[in-house]
Amino acid sequence: MAYPFETQVTPLTTIRRERILPVPGDVLVRIGERVEPTQVVARADLPGDFRILHIAHSLGVPVSRVKRCLQVNLGDEVQRGQVIARRGRLSANSVKSPIDGAVTAIGGGRILIEAPPAPLELRAYVYGVVSNVLAHYGAVIETTGALIQGAWGAGGESLGALKCMVKNPNESLQAKAIDPSCHGMILVGGAGISDAALRRAQELQVRGIVVGGLPPELLSLVAQLPFPLVATECIGAVPMSTPIFRLLATHDGREASISGRMQPRWGIVRPEIIIPLPAGTLPPTQIQPAAPLMVGTRVRLVRAPYVGAVGTVVALPAHAHPIETGARAHGAQVDIGQEAPVFVPLVNLEILR
Amino acid sequence: MAEEERIGSILLADCGTVTTKAVLLERVAGQYRFVARGEAPTTAEPPWSDVAAGIRHAVEQISEATGQHLFDSDGNLISPASAGRQGVDAFAATVSASQPLQVVLGGLVHDLSVASAERAVASTYSLVKATLAADGREGASSEEERVRTIRNAAPDVICIAGGVEGGATTPVLELVESAALACSMMDTGTPPRVLYMGNSQLRQQVVQIMEGQGELRVTDNVRPTPTEENLVGAQTELDALYVQDKMGRLPGIGAVSGWASVPLTPTARAFGRLIQYLWHLGDPSKGVLGVDVGAANTTVAAAFGGQLFLTIRGDLGMAFGGEQLLQKRDDETVTRWLPEPLSSDEARGMLINKELRPTSIPQDVRELRLEQALAREALRTTLGIAHPGWKPGAAQPYSQFLPLCDTIVVSGGALAHAPYPAQVALIVLDALEPIGISTLVLDVYGMAPALGSVAAVKPLAAVEALDNGALVNLATVVAPVGLARPGESVLHVHITYDGGGMLSAEVHYGDLEVLPLPAGQQAVLELRPLRHFDAGLGGPGKAGKRRVSGGLAGLIIDARGRPLPLSGKPEQRQAHMQQWLQAVGG
Repeated sequence: MAYPFETQVTPLTTIRRERILPVPGDVLVRIGERVEPTQVVARADLPGDFRILHIAHSLGVPVSRVKRCLQVNLGDEVQRGQVIARRGRLSANSVKSPIDGAVTAIGGGRILIEAPPAPLELRAYVYGVVSNVLAHYGAVIETTGALIQGAWGAGGESLGALKCMVKNPNESLQAKAIDPSCHGMILVGGAGISDAALRRAQELQVRGIVVGGLPPELLSLVAQLPFPLVATECIGAVPMSTPIFRLLATHDGREASISGRMQPRWGIVRPEIIIPLPAGTLPPTQIQPAAPLMVGTRVRLVRAPYVGAVGTVVALPAHAHPIETGARAHGAQVDIGQEAPVFVPLVNLEILR
Repeated sequence: MAEEERIGSILLADCGTVTTKAVLLERVAGQYRFVARGEAPTTAEPPWSDVAAGIRHAVEQISEATGQHLFDSDGNLISPASAGRQGVDAFAATVSASQPLQVVLGGLVHDLSVASAERAVASTYSLVKATLAADGREGASSEEERVRTIRNAAPDVICIAGGVEGGATTPVLELVESAALACSMMDTGTPPRVLYMGNSQLRQQVVQIMEGQGELRVTDNVRPTPTEENLVGAQTELDALYVQDKMGRLPGIGAVSGWASVPLTPTARAFGRLIQYLWHLGDPSKGVLGVDVGAANTTVAAAFGGQLFLTIRGDLGMAFGGEQLLQKRDDETVTRWLPEPLSSDEARGMLINKELRPTSIPQDVRELRLEQALAREALRTTLGIAHPGWKPGAAQPYSQFLPLCDTIVVSGGALAHAPYPAQVALIVLDALEPIGISTLVLDVYGMAPALGSVAAVKPLAAVEALDNGALVNLATVVAPVGLARPGESVLHVHITYDGGGMLSAEVHYGDLEVLPLPAGQQAVLELRPLRHFDAGLGGPGKAGKRRVSGGLAGLIIDARGRPLPLSGKPEQRQAHMQQWLQAVGG
């Protein structure tokens, strides 16, 4: 039995997303509440900037005399430029606060000033209903819709209408195709994208881009973009898988949430596109482990020379077979629409669900 | 004896970052033998979130091969074995799937206490997020910068070294004060622990400074004198923290622990035990070296004089860390090992793609070459950290080169499953640059760490499994040391094969020669080096005979020189790589 990794490319499913604060804070929603993507569901204060002022050293006094020089007390709020400590009456012999904040520690001839905490607001990200509240940390938002997991992503989260920019998944997204109608949209390309197209998209303030593969020379540029980008297949000029392209194209013009966030291990987070869709009854969630790979399973091939190809398993040979590099591997015969099925190592397959 | 006879079968498992391996050993005709193996993706992440599931999946392959059922219908291991060949008598597992300890290091002098602390930390699965050296080498020289660095890194542990016994006090205490202040300012759950491993005379003051600010643990000074290093106490504490805070929190680890006959062990620690164990079985005047290139970690374990030196690079493996290595270092860091041109952009793309699909294997030869190039660099990088901390004694005739190693154990999926054994041998030669005579052995079943775990409690099982093919001879390597003109004859080799037949060869400086000595074949090897060349027979010019065993890649004479000469011209370097690859038949 083989249990390959799975990628969800699902026309309709129940999707649950945890919205969790990195530090304890306030949860602003209740179970059952309907939320919109931009709605703040939880809020917390992140530690602000701080400064350590070496009073004894700056004033040239022994540590034991610092207390006499202080013009503030523990817990006092201070303004930037405010005198914190003074030796004698001459202003030249004084120490001023470099920031607005509060005095949080005094000792050893030093004083610690901490700036007010920076507020962090966590938004719902998707249209949906609050299905659970995690006290002080966040909420779980549940929605129904189409879900497409990407392979690679950059940038944060965004919301916009999908705009299919190419006619087929083999076509690259070109700058000339990006016009003012793209403003505020999530652009869907095919095989890749050019440097010029990325810059044009930035000028026109698009909300996100989805492509099959991202050419590696654009990685640095993409890291600077103010919107998320999701590559559905890999890094490289690779066409988008046909089922993913069809699903995105089907929903051309429909509003979607896009996330370029990714964490490849230790709590895997994959980039994704969520297209909210109404459903009469709740369709099943797909977070349960799937059955093992079997004949008839729809799979995507993830390594060259077949990267991005989608097909169906037609046989699972019992013994290892040689592959292009000379290695031998256990694998599957996969029909990807070529004259004959191709042999692919099991570890180079992903189940598409 | 009665105990050994009672244990008829042992199931070994290794839960790696991306792959879980399982191996079944059975006592057949009075000896433990390898029966079957399986491997499956590790299941620590959703949708499984249960490492036990990955073990069951790997064991399914064993069951398919043997017809034995090792788990009951509820997914529990059947132990001891019952009638009808159901279950096993013992189970042992090693684990490297958990997140590493996140560490901030502090010390006084970069090349002394900081270096010792780095080596202590590198003996467990860890990631050094930042280093604070009071000598200003790491940038964070003011207290404010140190506190900011610690706060931003949000580590699990702050390790503070510094001050030889009776030495400096003020800068060490300043580091501790910075750590205490940073701990007091971190209100995100549990503040980091502080592990003090510096001047022992300051312990009382350290305790006072840390009081009420966070958990403090104290160990022996890792650098008690400028020339002395004592890592044992710090390593033990760090190992305990890893097991408790990281390994112990893996989803499903409770069930795995419940099946185990011996405590679960970090993979690298168990691998180290095996290397230490092999040292006791071999030539005590030399060392034994083990290298394990995993998906997320690279481990170098060395044993000299019975002492183990374990070094783990927790941020560099075959799937994770390659792209970051390219970013941190020169573009050619990895691609310099390729026999054909590859742009840094292409290399970066391929390495990212491997990270996205960490269990996948290359089907394209260019991608294979890049992964093998990364393996070389991962090993060289880890060796660079490990080597300065070794105490090889007489096994180190030349301080600038690797000490003499009797055996070099090669482990890790990318190496064990390489298309051709000669490719693995060449990776090891390029990365480690061994000298003298060494036997390379390959951990083909990925069971070396688990055997190390077993060796600690049932040495007989480990010995017999080793004798019965758990490790396979990859090659015998002879690497003479000396300087000559390219093409000059530096070594005469004469092989007398057991069962008849002889072969003689002249080896020239710069050559990489493979002579026939297949696996299972024994022979007497006679070496006569040039006057000032040392072939590992006791010094320059010394000739002698050695009994050697064959391997999958034969007998390799590496006369390319030490250090390995790599041309600065890409075309010339690529031609050399191609030539060396062809020479070994890879």
